[in-house]
Parts: sequence; C-alpha cells; structure tokens
Amino acid sequence: MRAGVDIGGTFTDLVLSDSGRLKIHKLLSNPGQPETSMLAGLEAITPGGLAALAQVAHGSTVATNAILERKGARTALITTAGFRDLLFIGRQDRPVLYEIHPRIPPPLIPRERCYQVEERLDFRGEVLMPLELAGLDTVLDQVARAEVDAIAVCLLFSYVNAAHEQAIKQRILERGIVGEDWQVVLSSAVLPEFREYERASTVALEAYVRPVMSRYIGKLEEALPAATSLRIMKSDGGVMRARRIREGAIHTALSGPAAGVMGAFHLARLAGHEKIITLDMGGTSTDVALVAGEPQPRPESSIDGLPLRVRMLDIETIGAGGGSVARVDAGGALRVGPESAGANPGPAVYGLGGEQVTLSDANAILGRLDSERFLGGNMALDLAAGERALEELARAAGLTIIEAAQGVIDIAAVNIDRAIRHVSIARGYDPRDFTLVAFGGAGPLHACAAADRLEIPRVLVPPAPGVLCALGLLLADVAVEYSRSVMRRADEDAIAALKDIRRELLDLARAELEREGIRDDEMRFIVSLDMRYEGQAYELNIPFGDAAAQAFHAEHERSYGHAMRWRNVEIINIRAQGLGSVDKPGLDAVAVEPHAAESFGEKLSPIDGAIKMYERDELKAGAMFEGEALVFQMDSTTYVPSGWRGQVDGYMNLLLERV
Amino acid sequence: MPVDAISLEVFKNLFAAAAEEMGLALRRASFSPNIRERLDFSCAVFDAEARMIAQAAHIPVHLGSMPASVAAAVAEFEEFFPGDVVVLNDPYHGGTHLPDITMISPIFAGGELSYFVASRAHHADVGGMTPGSAPLSTELYQEGIIIPPLKLKLSGWMNEGALALIVANSRNPQERIGDLEAQLAAHRIGESRIADMMIEHGVETTAEHAAALLTYSRQMTEAVIARIPDGVYQFRDAMEGDGQAEFEIPIQARIEVDGAAMRVDFAGSAPQAPGNVNAVPAIVRSAAWYCVRLLADEDIPVNHGCFQPVEVVTPAGSVLNPRFPAAVVVGNTETSQRIVDTVLGALAQAMPELLPAASQGTMNNVALGGAVGDEQFVYYETIGGGHGASSRGSGLSGRHCHMTNTLNTPVEALEYSLPLRVLRYQLRDGSGGGGRHRGGDGILREYELLVPATVTLNSERRLRAPYGLKGGAPGERGLNTVIRDGRSEAVGGKYSAALAAGDRVLIETPGGGGWGREQARD
Repeated sequence: MRAGVDIGGTFTDLVLSDSGRLKIHKLLSNPGQPETSMLAGLEAITPGGLAALAQVAHGSTVATNAILERKGARTALITTAGFRDLLFIGRQDRPVLYEIHPRIPPPLIPRERCYQVEERLDFRGEVLMPLELAGLDTVLDQVARAEVDAIAVCLLFSYVNAAHEQAIKQRILERGIVGEDWQVVLSSAVLPEFREYERASTVALEAYVRPVMSRYIGKLEEALPAATSLRIMKSDGGVMRARRIREGAIHTALSGPAAGVMGAFHLARLAGHEKIITLDMGGTSTDVALVAGEPQPRPESSIDGLPLRVRMLDIETIGAGGGSVARVDAGGALRVGPESAGANPGPAVYGLGGEQVTLSDANAILGRLDSERFLGGNMALDLAAGERALEELARAAGLTIIEAAQGVIDIAAVNIDRAIRHVSIARGYDPRDFTLVAFGGAGPLHACAAADRLEIPRVLVPPAPGVLCALGLLLADVAVEYSRSVMRRADEDAIAALKDIRRELLDLARAELEREGIRDDEMRFIVSLDMRYEGQAYELNIPFGDAAAQAFHAEHERSYGHAMRWRNVEIINIRAQGLGSVDKPGLDAVAVEPHAAESFGEKLSPIDGAIKMYERDELKAGAMFEGEALVFQMDSTTYVPSGWRGQVDGYMNLLLERV
Repeated sequence: MPVDAISLEVFKNLFAAAAEEMGLALRRASFSPNIRERLDFSCAVFDAEARMIAQAAHIPVHLGSMPASVAAAVAEFEEFFPGDVVVLNDPYHGGTHLPDITMISPIFAGGELSYFVASRAHHADVGGMTPGSAPLSTELYQEGIIIPPLKLKLSGWMNEGALALIVANSRNPQERIGDLEAQLAAHRIGESRIADMMIEHGVETTAEHAAALLTYSRQMTEAVIARIPDGVYQFRDAMEGDGQAEFEIPIQARIEVDGAAMRVDFAGSAPQAPGNVNAVPAIVRSAAWYCVRLLADEDIPVNHGCFQPVEVVTPAGSVLNPRFPAAVVVGNTETSQRIVDTVLGALAQAMPELLPAASQGTMNNVALGGAVGDEQFVYYETIGGGHGASSRGSGLSGRHCHMTNTLNTPVEALEYSLPLRVLRYQLRDGSGGGGRHRGGDGILREYELLVPATVTLNSERRLRAPYGLKGGAPGERGLNTVIRDGRSEAVGGKYSAALAAGDRVLIETPGGGGWGREQARD
C-alpha cells in the first residue's frame, strides 16, 4: 500500500492506494505539530495499521512556514572579504517603485552573523589570493561564539572552483564548530551557478531551513515503521527519498503547488489531454501553470522577496481566491484581492462576523454555492449577511447587488486571465490548443469563465478536485537532477566535447535512482543544455543533441518572435535529469455509456434563470448534461454556464466543452 | 459595453498586461547587461492623441518623459502606416538623453490610427567623447549620435541604412543591434496584444475605456493632492558642479497647492550650465510627478491622467529648460534626483510627519571603456546608497532611491565579460545621518582595472550632504577616490581620465539624512 499526504495550513489530505483502489481522507491540520495529523490520518485510512504501508509520499509546508515566519535555524554566512553585505545590498533595487518609506523583507541572517574571509578567485577559477588560514580561524572563533545551528558559505566564483569553500567546511568540521557534516552548506554544492547574490540567497535559505526540516523528517521517520519508505515532494514536481532532505531541504519550499500540477498532469494525460493549463484556486490564492508535454521547471523564483534559484515548476501565483476581498477604490474601480478575509472571519456568508465582500459571497449570492451542500453540508451559509455586505459595495460602485456580485466574479476572472496569459501567450503558447484542468476548492467554479475569455475549448475537473495535491504526491515520479556550468561556445565540436560530462552526470543520476530503489526498466533520463546567444543573460533549455544550436534558434524564434542565426550561441549549463517512475495506482478506465445525467433539482438564479443541480457522486461514466448547471461534491462545486456541456469520462473526470 | 466599475478594472488590467508583456519580451531577448541585468528600460501604450494609457516602468525617470517622445513622433510625421516604427533619442525632440533610445509603433483599427506602443531602453554606448556615452560634455554633439524622429521601419520594411548608421556610431555595435532587435520584438508583442483587445472587445469599447482610465487616474491623483494642506511651499537645494567646474547650481521650487490642483514653479533655478547637468523639461515633469505619485497609498495606474492635475513650470534658458545644443547627459540621472529632493523638501513643510529626509540624491554613474585587442568594451553602472529616514523608521541602506531602480550587474557577470575586478562591494558603515531614526548607509564599491581604460564618473552629494529632517543629521557625503601607484587622490564628483592597468577607483556613496533629534531616539 502507498499513501500520499499533503499537509496544508487548514487541512491534511490523504490518498491511499490499496491494491489498485483509491481511498481519500481529509482531516484538520495541527500547525504546531504537523506530523500528528499525518499519523492520525494514516492510522485512520490504512487497513491493518501503518505496518502495511510500503511507501508514503509527503508534501510539506514546514520549510515554507519557517521562512515566512522567520522561525528557521540560527545561521551564519561566510563570504569573500569585501562582500559580507551581499544579502543586504541584494541587487540594489527597492521592492516597490513608488513607496515613500521603502522596506525590504527582513533578512534570514542578521548582519552580525555575516562574516568574511580573505581569499579570491577569478572568473576562470584561478586563485588570485589563497584562502588565509589564520584569518579563517579568527573568523571561526567568532562563529563558534555565535552558537549557530547551520553555516552557509558563499565565495565568489565558487561555481567554477569549489576548493576554498570545501577547505572552509573541512576546517569547521575539524574544529567541531557544528556537530554534523550537513550543517555546513556550501553554495558550490547547492547552486553551482553564477550571480553571487542569488546564489548567496539560495544557500542562506537552504542553511536556514535544513536543521528544521531535518528534525521534522526525523520525527516522521521515527513514527513510521522502519520498512515504510518516506519520500518528500520537491518544487520541480518530483519526489526524493527523505534522507536527502539534508542535501536539499529548500527544494521543498515551493513544493505545494507543484504537487497539484503533477496530479493534474498525470490524470489529464491518462484521459488523453497532453497539453494542459492548470487552475488551482484555493481560499487566498490561485496557482496557474502550463504543461505542454512534460512539466517544465524554470530556474528562477523567489519566496517572500528572497531569490531562490532551485528548479521549480513554472507556476504563476496570484492573490485571488475564494476569500479575496472586493472593494471600490478611490478612482471608482471595483477591485478583488490581494487582501483576503482568511478563514476567520472569512466571507460574510460564513456567518462568522465577516463584513467585507469576498469572491465566495458573490458566488453565494448568485446561487452558485449551496447552503445545504457547502463543505458536504457541514457549514450553513448566511445569505442575508452576504447580501448586506454586497449592498454596501453595490452602492459604492453604483450598481445593483446582482451586478456587483457578477462584477466581483468577472474581475476575479480577469485576474486569472492575466495569469494564464503569462504562462501561455507570453511564452509563445496559444491557449486555444490547451485543456484547462480546474481544481482546488474554487477552481471548478471559475474555470469556464476563464476558459471563455481565452477561448480555451475544454475544461477538465478531476474526480476529487479538493485533494488533487495528495493524489499528485502519489503519482509523482522520483526526480533527480545534476548540472554543471560549462560556459562554452556552441561550435561544431561542442556536443562531442560535452559527451564525457554528459556521461558523468548520467552516471550520478543513475546511481542516485538506484539508491532510491528504482529498477532499471523504470528509469528515464533527459539531458538538456541551457543555451543563449553570446551576450544574453537568459538561457533557453534545449534537448541535448547534435542539432542543439539549430533547435536553439528555433526555440528563440518561438519564444521571442525572432532568431539571429548569424550570432554565436553559448552553452551555459548541461543538465541530466533522472526520472524513476513509480507505480500508478488503480486508474483504469471504466466503460463509457453516453446517457443523460439525472439532476436532483433546479434552483432559480437571479441572473441565469433555472440552474440544474447534480450530485457529482451520482454521475456515472458517460453522463451528459448542459449548462446552466451546478455539480456539487464534498470538496468543491463546479459551475457550468450556458453554452457549455459536460460529460463524465471513463476516468470519472468531468469534461466540460463549449457547445 | 458602457464604462462601469467592473469594466474599468477589466481594461486597466488588459492595458497594463500589454505593456508588461512588452517589457518581459524586451528583457529576455536583450543583450547588454544594462537592459538584461539592470532593467534600464520601460514600455508603454498610448492613444492616438499621444496620451499615455498604461506603462510598465522600472524607472521613474521614464515615467513622464515617454509621452514627449510619442508627441514628437506625431509632430514629425503627417502620416503613419501599419508596420511603421519611429526611432528617436534627440533630447530636444522627444528624448531625454542620447543613450535612451525610444521606439514608437502605430497601431491601426479598420485603417484608422488608434494607438501607439512605445519602448525606451538605455543603450550602454551611443558614441560621443568617452565610452559609456556619459561624457563631461559641453554640447550635445559630444554626447553621441543624435537621432531625430525617423522611421526605422516603413510599412514593415526595415530602413537598413538608418539602422547601420545608428549601430556604426556605437563602440559595441554587436550589442546595439541585438538590443534594437529586442525592442522591435517587444513592439510585435505589444501590437498584437492591443489588436487582440480591439478584436475581442470592439474598437469603440476599447477606446471608451482607454479614455475612462485617464479620468480614473486623474481623479485618484486629485484625491492625493487634495490631502495636502492648501498653501505655498518653497525649497531650495543645489547641484555641486557641471563637470567643467565645481560651483553651486541652485534648484528652486515653489509649490502652490489649491484644492485638487498643484502648480510647481521652478523659477529661481540656475541658468543653463556650460556642462552636462542640464535637464530637459520632460525630466523635470517626470520628477515632479514622481513626488506626487509617492504620496498616494493606492496603486494608481500611471497614465496621462496622473499628469493633468500637476502643472510644472520651467523657465526657458534655465538648467531645467536648456536651449539647444546644451549638454544634457547627466540631467537625466543627477539633476532629476535633486529636483526630487527639492520638491519633497517643499512638501515636507506641508506634511512633516509623512515626508522622509533626503536620500542619497545621486545615481553615482560609473562609465568606463577601452579595448582588449581589436574588441572595444564598455561598462556603465549606477550605485545605490542610503535612503532618508522618516517618522516611520530608519532609511534603507545600499539601495537605489527615487528616480532610478536599476539592478546592479552581478560581480560574477561583470568579471566574466569585462577586464575589471571588483575588490569590495559592501555597506559604508555609519554613513547614514543620525537622529531619532537613522538615515540608511551608503555603499562602498572598489574597482581595479585590468587593462588601460577611460573612466568617467558623474555623481553628486560629494560637497553638499543629503539633508536631515526635524532635527535629524544630514547623511555622510559621497567620496570618489582614484588610487594609482599606491597613492590615493580624491577626484571630486565629476571626473574623466584615462587610467592604467592596475589603477583602482573607489566610490563611496552618500548616506541618507536622519529624522528627528537624536536624544529622542527609540
């Protein structure tokens, strides 16, 4: 038996695969001790107890929260002399252009714990000034007195030559300044790529969360039977064995949204949809990603304003969710988000004292949330409170209540629209070629409106849109990646010259997959090159091969609308990715017999007239219906406007298509 | 579709997204570190009457100066055709200083001119006396190639001659052509986005909403001005020299606030200078509008409507409205900062609890260039400094302030591509002015030349410190030092010389002013 466990701020979702059958479970999280809800959930869902579990795949927000709440490890940073303020100067810019009293996010490491050592390399990695050992010891005396849990080291040009960083680590361990090898974090190991601030920021983040994650994973491993293997979700959409947390804890920091994308990707591919855009809409934010073929990681991202250069799926996040607050601004425009009413008091219709209009209120007023079925009927909606809140807003905007409610929904759709354009049109993809996969509590409510705006022809709503992340954990492959900075011209000899490095990286990837217990026939390898025109700063990722330069020109043309075939092309990095596919649990198609779906009733909507209502659990494969329609299920509601029709496919997905 | 609160928000997003996507494309396809690493560019959408509707700006100095470019293009050409692209950089015809090259493309609907998209990027070298095109000049002709508004593309056909002429006047022609191509790529994105909008929403509706957005921003700006107590507020600050000599060059502002309208009169400012610090009126307007925008707590879309309630008066023949062919290259970077200090200084009298003390008040421009073998190299950078403190707390350290927000060039990118070494890049401890809230600290950055190179520095606040407020101490003044054969020499704020391999240049940037008396420090 295998389980996927996604621990979020409010709920812990579990999916169990038991000899091909899926079981779903949802319980409240315990933010203080996240491991307790996991264990309680696993106990509840696993017949015969934990001993029967062969594998648990886990998605965690522990690292994310440690960063956002600044509750990570007590950390020191060591840099090249003259550059101790790297983290404070950043890229010299202020985060907000027009701000009368600008602020920057509080750094993870205070200035008094930033140290510098005499040493210097040039850009080729040649030693200009050897590491000064006496000076290093003086610095380490200070580090010792600071009593830190982790030490980050980031020296200039260490991505070309790591010798000085390694010597510092060795000296720290010789002197016993920290107890364990993994408490010293070298930038050359975590991110061997140029740009000193981004590298320093990444290595500081890694050092800051590694002890926290290490403790947390340790507790989980202790609680789980020794024979159960624990895997952790990474930001790039793959999983890794828990033991590797001590090499790359920060890879978990942006893994939450990645699990959903992986779940959507696998389900959609199974159902025959190769090109998808995902719409994961929760209470406070919405994540949008595009997958054309394989999910593509991007090399740059950030967390709480701090650059983080680990590979994460290309996901666009916007501050629009069910709890997003609507208001009329000083210029008379209606705005939605990014402020959120949170869970408490939450939307006005929750009846917990919320007075501001949220997106959920607008949906409730238009009849798209049903009092009897909201959260499986466990929460009655206070429509009168919603109406009172909307009345205020409508007056300020000079609209009727219904117009205002529709407006709030329209504006949320515009915000989603902008995010989808970012991941599609701005990257050279036409959304009309894609299927929109909608999940999260609110995604299926807004998917058709978003699809209409961009002429996306199809919307796919998975069987359990509220626990897709947990399912994604179960479906995610083991992913390992090794890269090297090569910085060379892509001339005729380049590919031949890189063959040895390619082999080396592939061997590393294979060895790591073997350690993960992956069989030979389950392994897949992808080798790629980061390439750019000489003089550019941003690379495009191109499959490794003799025609890589040609492929680069074509990709540049596709992405930016022009190619410059007369220019020299450079190869910056070579990457080898190893994927170990895991058994996909019981997702076999059932026979589809087209038939008219049976609605259990109708309700009158203030603008749409009659809306037919369906229970998702009652819909069998092949069931068909037309909009206006609402489909209710425990963890989500799907709204199907007129002009759309729905059909349940063989995998129990709800496929909505424009008529 | 009539304009209402909902559709207004919809179109605000649509126009902004078009400008943003242009910027994204420009950045990713560009070549020079100045554009790709430092983001020294902006993109914008205009209506047929050359009124700005939306802008994606990284740099406030572009804020109010791009409209002048589109206006100049409209004035120059009687007729536009689909596929035209106008290019210009002439500060006296729609430009600001020569390195900022602006492109403008018309967009048609049903054969009728409906919109323009425009992009502006700072090109690292456009010729002139010294590498990096920021010379200690005395007339415009010394600052580089002057491009009057001309059609770089005519009905889609590239004017190859014009392109070759522009590129041939740069010390790094390969990079120039790549960056100009990147601008054109951004225009293709902008054109198709606006065309899509008109197809989807209709030409009429799109036009109505473009107009409504101007009213929207005007009303929001008026609301900001209305919060300033009515009255007349005056302030005087000064520049320290024009690159030819060190002398006081006063900048004086008289601000009259009357309800929702504001008039900023710069009468009393110095006559135009012989050297390079003159600023064309477009820059002065940018700086004044920036100050108003700073007071808003609501996110106001930057467009023509923001400018309407603020009248800016610059006396002809002054350093803020020079006569052709006065030198102007540093007006953009240095004088613009002093205009902000002056306007904010005046506003501080009206709202002492809100306004901050002076920030570093300079961009600390470093331009250098030379040759390695046959290949010329050029490097241009600006350096952050201390921000002024305010009633809300101490000032930021080591960051760009006010009229710029460009990123730095990473040391590892710089040393990889140029014969330079950066020896130190750290905060300048204790340089922020004391007070109840301390000003932010400046930066200390030291370069070593690995080959002979011409170095040009244009910086301010080397003689006159950034002011403190409410009894706070001024920030530490900046200091430029050249170290040759082990001897250090303070070289003043503006400097240009041919230096040898092994020579070092040390820039210490000013700290921000403090706020409130020290005794009351919390």
